[in-house]
Amino acid sequence: MFTEPLNVLLIFTVTMPIIGWVAYRKAYRKILGVYAALGLSVTAYFLYELYREVAEKGVVLIVGQLPFNPPLGACLEIDMLSVFMAFICTMIGLFAAVYSIKYMERDTGLTEYYTLLLGMIAGMMGVAFAGDFFTLFVFWELMCLTSYALVAFRKQRWEPIEAGFKYLIMSAAGSATILLAMSFLYGMTGTVNFASLAVSLNNATPDGWLHVTLTLIVVGFGIKAAIVPFHTWLPDAHPAAPSPISAVLSGVMIETGVYALCRVLFVAFLPAQFHWGMIIAVLSVVTMTVGNLMALLQTDIKRLLAYSSIAQIGYILVGIAAGTQSGLTGTTFHIFNHALMKGLAFLCAGAFIFRAKTRNLDELSGIGRKMPISTVTFSIAVFALAGMPGLNGFMSKFVLFTAAIPAGMAWLAIAGVLNSAFSVAYYLRLILVIIRPQPAGKVADAKEAPITMLMPMCLMAAFIVLIGVWPEPIVAFAQRAASCLID
Amino acid sequence: MIPLVHYLACAIALYVIGMYCLASKRNMIRLVIGVEILMNAAHLTFIAFSAYRTAGYIDPLGHAIVIMSIVFAGCVTAVALTIVTYAYRHYGTLDVRKLKRLRW
Repeated sequence: MFTEPLNVLLIFTVTMPIIGWVAYRKAYRKILGVYAALGLSVTAYFLYELYREVAEKGVVLIVGQLPFNPPLGACLEIDMLSVFMAFICTMIGLFAAVYSIKYMERDTGLTEYYTLLLGMIAGMMGVAFAGDFFTLFVFWELMCLTSYALVAFRKQRWEPIEAGFKYLIMSAAGSATILLAMSFLYGMTGTVNFASLAVSLNNATPDGWLHVTLTLIVVGFGIKAAIVPFHTWLPDAHPAAPSPISAVLSGVMIETGVYALCRVLFVAFLPAQFHWGMIIAVLSVVTMTVGNLMALLQTDIKRLLAYSSIAQIGYILVGIAAGTQSGLTGTTFHIFNHALMKGLAFLCAGAFIFRAKTRNLDELSGIGRKMPISTVTFSIAVFALAGMPGLNGFMSKFVLFTAAIPAGMAWLAIAGVLNSAFSVAYYLRLILVIIRPQPAGKVADAKEAPITMLMPMCLMAAFIVLIGVWPEPIVAFAQRAASCLID
Repeated sequence: MIPLVHYLACAIALYVIGMYCLASKRNMIRLVIGVEILMNAAHLTFIAFSAYRTAGYIDPLGHAIVIMSIVFAGCVTAVALTIVTYAYRHYGTLDVRKLKRLRW
């Protein structure tokens, strides 16, 4: 029906309730997490097969089968960028699923949890593979719906309910805005297929309607990508979700928003024609500044990381504003790195919360003395986020900021570097609090996180260091992905 | 035949009404209705465009999209109402101003 990785993921999603029923009957709930991890591993294998096919042919086009001819059926157009995004989703999803086995063991409703998790990954992968705007929208809604339920998952507490409701209202308004923009594009061109849209719009003179549509698209996707001033849901929703979900939301989902924005902008609204580079540049500076400033004021570890995600979205936008090959390479490379760094930071924060039962930074003071391995991985993640040379965050920021200068946006690069330096203030504070001597209070009898939680964390930390010292393969992959947008 | 512009004006009015509803209403159910109004503004434009693309001919693509999209709107409403139910059980009110424990 769709392409193999997506089919496999959807099959695992719909069979998860059956496995859940069996697992609860046998009172052996670990099997759920193992099944989810198995599903994502199989998906990763098929994704590799797809990667080889795409590397050979350039673009793989899949249109719906007979009763559903192209305009009415699903239309998937898979190029290197799609594979790149799908690879990130699967990787972070796999880590989150393995981590959840232990982290979620005290919660009820695990069947729903893993079904929703796989559904969310499937939605993100579908967004990456979509070849027409409406297919993108269908998978977008799948991603959104599952994420609403996952944010409000611990429904017995007040915070997930409030955050979930706020997130739902804002995000649903964003989806409606995207749908309105799509309807205008449909009215102007009579199609929603990306290839046909590109043909119809690339020689159009920008008139009022096209500008309205462009604004609606930036607002609609901007809400999901947490671009300031549409970011207010993020610092509430990400901390309220269970930690592995925060890792997926922060690591991949907001990047999916950026990906969809890129895809639509570069297909339908060419930068040379509509000159949106400057708008994105201004949004980028505002986003990174507000994110960094607000992160400085936080006392909640997950909230701080959530604001830091907003700042990182600002850096990612720098490459889109530049709009050149090297800028987009930086964007895709930073998306990959941010998924690793922020995913790891949230997983480590989750490990601290799992042991200390608190998210307050003051109460977590000194937990590093009790949980050495988690602290080392957490420090690696935080240093990478701060952009320390030798770790992957530095490499992608370097590519991003050097790309902004030849594009005539030197001020953007300067703003980025200043923000990056400024952000070190709260990243160092995080580490300083964690490794403070004399752990007391709630952290006094904390012990090291369980092995199934440490495993994905150590693996991600190893990747961060590895990419930091040997970035060539990923940069080459990102380069090929970025060139799909330019051509 | 009613000109296309009237439908578009109506759709944009609906969009503005929906946004106003989200910005000003305090009842959680009304906020959910606001989201529905926003979705319906987009549906109306799709239907209007599908009828006006070629004279005397209706493009099925717009209708197909709208039918799918109505299902999504229904799903979003279902999830939203579930959260509203839990909020009501928790707070005993539907007033969104009472949900103010989240800080900046």
